[in-house]
Amino acid sequence: MKVFLIFLMALRSLARNPLRSFFMMLGVTIGIASLTALASVGEATKQETMQRFKRMVGNYNIVNIVPGAARTRGMPSLTTVEPSLTFEDAKALARDASSVAQVAEAQNAFDIDVKYRNKTTAAAIYGISSNWLEMHSYFIETGDVILDDDVNSLARIAVIGPDVQAALFANEDPIGKQLRIANVPFQIKGVLVSRGAGPGGSSMDSIVFIPVTTASKRLFNRNYLTTITLQLKDPDNPQTGIKEISSILRGRHKIVPPIEDDFTVSSPRATAEQVSDVRSTLGTILFGVAAIATIIGGAVIMSLMLIAVSERRGEIGIRRALGATRSDVMMQFLIEAATISFIGGLAGVALGIGGGAIAASQQQLPPVVMWSAILGAMLLSVVLGLVFGLQPAWKAAKIDPIEALRS
Amino acid sequence: MIEVKNIEKTYRRGDGTPVAALKDVSFKIEQGEFVTIRGASGSGKSSLLNILGCLDTPTSGSYLLEGEDVSHYTDTQRSHLRSRRIGFVFQSFNLLPRTTARENVELPALYTGRPVDRDKVLFLLDRVGLGARSQHFTTELSGGEQQRVAIARALMNDPSLLLADEPTGNLDSTAGQSIMELLTELHKEGLTIVLVTHDEETASYAERLLFIRDGVIATDRSQPGKTSTTSNHSERQS
Repeated sequence: MKVFLIFLMALRSLARNPLRSFFMMLGVTIGIASLTALASVGEATKQETMQRFKRMVGNYNIVNIVPGAARTRGMPSLTTVEPSLTFEDAKALARDASSVAQVAEAQNAFDIDVKYRNKTTAAAIYGISSNWLEMHSYFIETGDVILDDDVNSLARIAVIGPDVQAALFANEDPIGKQLRIANVPFQIKGVLVSRGAGPGGSSMDSIVFIPVTTASKRLFNRNYLTTITLQLKDPDNPQTGIKEISSILRGRHKIVPPIEDDFTVSSPRATAEQVSDVRSTLGTILFGVAAIATIIGGAVIMSLMLIAVSERRGEIGIRRALGATRSDVMMQFLIEAATISFIGGLAGVALGIGGGAIAASQQQLPPVVMWSAILGAMLLSVVLGLVFGLQPAWKAAKIDPIEALRS
Repeated sequence: MIEVKNIEKTYRRGDGTPVAALKDVSFKIEQGEFVTIRGASGSGKSSLLNILGCLDTPTSGSYLLEGEDVSHYTDTQRSHLRSRRIGFVFQSFNLLPRTTARENVELPALYTGRPVDRDKVLFLLDRVGLGARSQHFTTELSGGEQQRVAIARALMNDPSLLLADEPTGNLDSTAGQSIMELLTELHKEGLTIVLVTHDEETASYAERLLFIRDGVIATDRSQPGKTSTTSNHSERQS
């Protein structure tokens, strides 16, 4: 009751001195506005980056296992990887990993000659299981995908990327035509929709897909895999799945620490989050400046409150004479500081959202309203007011009523 | 009601030398009395007033307020005493700036922690003759009116003791007289009033005079007390 009454009194007292109140909140407003704007632009940038990454990776909610330790660089290929990842590993994961929804196998090599009549092009060859294309968000333009039957029967069929189509079938329908991959004949079953450039900047369309069994037995004569792709049941929480997968593989490969894993599990989602979390130096500096501005806003409140306390000695003396305790006086000034800071913060949040939206639209980013940042900013402004109001409030509480009434 | 026993108050100057403002002061004030404390400036009357008003504590001696020895109360305890038992009226009115008459009268209620009784605020403003001006800002009121607001404010928490420090000091004689008449009326309604003044005319309204000089009570005598000069005031009392 008393606190509420003192709060109302603080509001009235702030309203009585609108100009001073305005300058008190100005610093906090500017600081909080820049913090909010930067946070929302930052979040918009992050979301935009994630979106692009998602488009690039295709399916975003997958986990990839490649052979070799984490330090192995570049895209895995049959010629560069250790033969540590097997078909049996993939089957075991599908059977035993409770966090896994489905498993896809891939065996790939790059720069393989693909010929049609007298034309030749170099393409990446991917031997894949039937679910691989869908899991990686490749879609068929014409023809059909690779089916389980194709995989089971070691069919010599191929699904080609648009670059391969362009290189070999300029004016022909490629469906049903026979091309030769490293001199092994394959019948073209489908053509893919273009994916554009991949993470490395190279085209993702210069590619040929064939059944993984065909690749293993009829083309490459290798019985190990270059990638196992898994779809998790709970894609929002990849770490749990990654742990389970790792422990199953360690068991199968008889790896006991401190021996390092002969495989690497990664999730595009985790990578994307990592990448988009890296703030630019400029962004960090801006954020720091905004934070400093906010703190200066608090300091402004403090100095103006200190002046106000001196000016209001008489008022404080009257209040003390009329029965206000030291803590009543202290509370009054603390509440005034917190209230003005909160109002300043509120105005700052409004300005920041507006400014952030304008900045985002100029950079063609999606407008993002970050509730956590808004809530944080409001909390911050109240805390700021309380912290910087402490000293003036303490000074006010210490004023001797006799002295104050005499003046 | 009030019993002051052997009160001394010693201050320290800047250089540390002690200055005795009150030396062995003792007196009693009964419930319902109207007492004037007179004395020149520097006589110790302000020190005595501060102790009586629980703004200050004596260096030694005891101060019994309604039988309760409050001479060693803490700052917070004295704040509560001021809130509930003592009403202050000051020479310079001491109303809060940029507030209305009503807000000033409400102020003491705030520190009791109880909800403000709006009817009582209006009643008190009416009682001091400002019923129509409750929404006026203090700057829109004359000195006499401001002092009336201050008196209404002092009465807000039903104090057992009203302390008036030179209440007419900043007023012209007409306004001063009407303030003294208002205090006399309140006294007749049973309020205990201690008035501090150096002005003989103001002092003459009280029934008892304490004259303080050099920190001791030099004179303590009864006097007839100037009752209100106009008959309509007396009628209101009956």
